[in-house]
Amino acid sequence: MRFFWEVVRRAFRQETTYRLAMWAGLATNLFFGLVRAALLTALLPAGAAVNGMDAAASVTYVALTQAMIAFLRIFGMTDVSKSVYSGQVAMDLLKPTHLYTLWMGRELGKAGFNLWGRGVIFMALFALFHPLVFPGSLGQAGWFLVSLGLSWLVSFSWNFLVNLAAFWTPDARGVARMGFLISGVLSGFYMPLQLMPEWFTRLCYWTPFPSLINTPVEIYLGIVPAGELGVRLGLQLVWFLVLAAASQAVVRLGIRKLVIQGG
Amino acid sequence: MRSLTLYRRLLSIQLRSQMQYRMSFLMDVLSTGLLNGTYFFSVALVLNRFGGVVGWTVGEVAFLVGVAEIAFGLTDMIFSGFDADTFSPMVRQGQFDQLLLRPVNITVQVLGSSFLLRRLGRILQGVIILAYGLWMTPVVWTAAKSLYLPVVIASQVVLMGAIFIFGTTLTFWTIERVEAVNILTYGGVEMMGYPMDIYSKGMRRFFTYVVPFIFMNYYPALYFLGKTDPFGFPAAAPFFAPLVAAAGMGLALWFWRWGITHYQSTGS
Repeated sequence: MRFFWEVVRRAFRQETTYRLAMWAGLATNLFFGLVRAALLTALLPAGAAVNGMDAAASVTYVALTQAMIAFLRIFGMTDVSKSVYSGQVAMDLLKPTHLYTLWMGRELGKAGFNLWGRGVIFMALFALFHPLVFPGSLGQAGWFLVSLGLSWLVSFSWNFLVNLAAFWTPDARGVARMGFLISGVLSGFYMPLQLMPEWFTRLCYWTPFPSLINTPVEIYLGIVPAGELGVRLGLQLVWFLVLAAASQAVVRLGIRKLVIQGG
Repeated sequence: MRSLTLYRRLLSIQLRSQMQYRMSFLMDVLSTGLLNGTYFFSVALVLNRFGGVVGWTVGEVAFLVGVAEIAFGLTDMIFSGFDADTFSPMVRQGQFDQLLLRPVNITVQVLGSSFLLRRLGRILQGVIILAYGLWMTPVVWTAAKSLYLPVVIASQVVLMGAIFIFGTTLTFWTIERVEAVNILTYGGVEMMGYPMDIYSKGMRRFFTYVVPFIFMNYYPALYFLGKTDPFGFPAAAPFFAPLVAAAGMGLALWFWRWGITHYQSTGS
């Protein structure tokens, strides 16, 4: 456990060194956020609402999803697969912790920094351009934080699992891109699932992806259908456990395939 | 003339090497194409629910997206040598100095240093979206319109290429790629994919007078689709695109040459 927190602390410190990249990332997120907010406010004139989404809520939805990009690594990550290609993974396997937990520590450190640097700061910047709504009660805010934590666990496990393709194919980048291709649409990152046709939303809920983004945003905005809060959080937890278990199993299979060239 | 033969030579080397791993190449084409395609799919699903946005039907928005995507895919393929992501390591590691020593046109060398054939995926995806847009909109295609559409696409390619060159020149001083340029390139395509009516006045002014994207896609689309101009620009506004592109490229090339004369190697 002490080892785990040491990994987290170091990853956090490493991430703080890239300050300029942080501001550049913020500027990019801000621009895309403004474009998306413009589209949604044009669709939802004052007074109009669909499934609880009105103009103010949809702008806040845009702000939250853009703020979560770096925290959840929504565009995918390739660090694990790169370590397989470079052989670094052999060193990692010697460390006194499971590969999954080791990477979780590294990613948690980064995420901790990005929650503040790319998340909270982003929300503050975005609020300069558009009025944002805040959770109605302390309880709602609390459940949002719980849900956000679960999203991180689901997102990390999903990204980790996708990266394991590197044990089998030399083109793990392509697989990662395919991963984002699916998650971008089904998670509600591109467009809020509330505004999608009903049949499509129902389809999404058969996959882990709404648990990635749509659920915490819904809870923040207070537009979860009555009595569904527990179900949504439970679903997040279940998907985290499923993906984590799958990762463990795949790692075990992958290691058997792994050949490291000595030197 | 010599430059042209050289460029063709460099191009054929690029193409041959990229076709070496056919399977991986096809995967790449497919996934980049689908990636941008799924984004439009999401938007189209939502737009369908509302029957369009600010008086633009889904088909008309598809027209905007399709043209912008084809043009950007082409830019990304042709000008990938000037993509700051590939160019900045050349400055950092001193490979740019090697290019400067060769007795051949430097612009041609950089242009020929990369030609990403896999961007065909994005272009193909743009073609499909454009075809969908054309199929959904009852537009009478006169000879003038059919001739002007390729000109509009070429103009967008040239202006985006100019922004690539501008961004690359900046790396002479910054060494690292300048991410703000991505806002104009990747952000620019996304922005141009929607009718300008949805943006705030400030944003619209910026994209009219500072970076005149409004004349590249929106105004030509008004002409092609036979829509009225809500902003009261002169009737010739849909035909400004080639002029803006030429001016932008002129400016970028001037800056590039000026940058080269002031270039100081990193010494690596």
